[in-house]
Amino acid sequence: MSKKVLVVDDDPDVRLFTVTVLEEHGYTPLEATNGEEGKKKIKEESPDLVILDVLMPRESGVRLYRELKTDAKLSKLPLIILSGIAKKSFLRSQKALTEFGGDPVPEPEYYMEKPVEAEELAATIEKILG
Amino acid sequence: MDIQKLLFVTKFEELGFDALQSLLTLRSASLQHVVFVNVIERSRVAMRRGAGYIKSEEVRLRERANIRFIDWAEHLFEQGMEVGVYIVVGSLVSQVIEATKKENADLIVIGKSEKPMLEQFYSGPDVTEIIRRAAVPVLVYKPVPESNLALESPFQRPMLATDWSAGSLRSVGYIKQLKDVVSEVNVISVVEEKTLRGDSAMRIQKFRKEARQKLESLCEEFEAAGIQARAHVYVGDPYEEIERAARECQATLIVAGSSAKPAWAERWIGSVPLAIAEKSAYPTMLVPPEKS
Repeated sequence: MSKKVLVVDDDPDVRLFTVTVLEEHGYTPLEATNGEEGKKKIKEESPDLVILDVLMPRESGVRLYRELKTDAKLSKLPLIILSGIAKKSFLRSQKALTEFGGDPVPEPEYYMEKPVEAEELAATIEKILG
Repeated sequence: MDIQKLLFVTKFEELGFDALQSLLTLRSASLQHVVFVNVIERSRVAMRRGAGYIKSEEVRLRERANIRFIDWAEHLFEQGMEVGVYIVVGSLVSQVIEATKKENADLIVIGKSEKPMLEQFYSGPDVTEIIRRAAVPVLVYKPVPESNLALESPFQRPMLATDWSAGSLRSVGYIKQLKDVVSEVNVISVVEEKTLRGDSAMRIQKFRKEARQKLESLCEEFEAAGIQARAHVYVGDPYEEIERAARECQATLIVAGSSAKPAWAERWIGSVPLAIAEKSAYPTMLVPPEKS
């Protein structure tokens, strides 16, 4: 059975691009348009990998990342952050939230700034899922 | 009545990053989440003779907005704030109302309408329509009069113009929640001249005294919440006197209840809150009555 990859992004063009890359490489894509929906899909579908945007309506990727990394059951779920937000800003946001009394979270292992080439994305997914 | 999440509605020309930064003082009250909204008017991308729907123009406008929002969002994220974004094609009014509901926002911030007067008369300006339809307060943001710069903090010295309507009384609760941001609040009430005409001096003084006493009770409420407050009674045309009072009190923001009049009555008879929102030189926050 092919591995499931959840794409959480509010931009339909980015979702289409990512889903196409996933299908071409034999994965089963799942989609969510914001962090809230993403969280629900993660619980319902148990994906093998999440590709997460940062700037979205309802709940941003900053919060969802934090929630996943501080959840005992989900903290090991592999993640790729794919966003227009600079990695430096993302890291500073996590640091600020920790300073405001949150739990410290690890840095994301895979952070890709948009736009990304299909081959580069596919290679990163391959590296994670084998 | 906490303002935890605000919707920042911008076309970029009228409301920029300086305005957004001045609103971040609300963080010391309870602001945690800013949602950016940019609505691309359908007329800019749809159906021109021989061209149909101009997808490339939509992409260009979306990306232009996206680049600005990413820049702003990075700044807010770095401060530990939560940020969201909507870049949508459609009617400004309905998209803003829809986003407010989806996000469960506590405040809508919008710049002043730039539509020509004639167009506003027939269609109703967008800002006015949003004020009419919103269930949450609407802050009509304006730069500092005559300087075009954003205020350091619009909530520093608000002036509450009360007509004792449900909306203006609800405003009291909102201001009280901002006690860490507000340094002083001036509370004013305008007695219309027609109310006083033909009466004796004693009767006019009685009007003033009664109005003043009511205002003082509001001031006591603010002071109990830890906010310094002053009461003032003005006499004359409500819009002109509110504007005068704002100048004299060096207000940074006018707060008023939005009108409970039906839309047709507002259009033909007029509405003081909408006139302030549209014409006043000061930023204006209109608070609607609680909707059941």
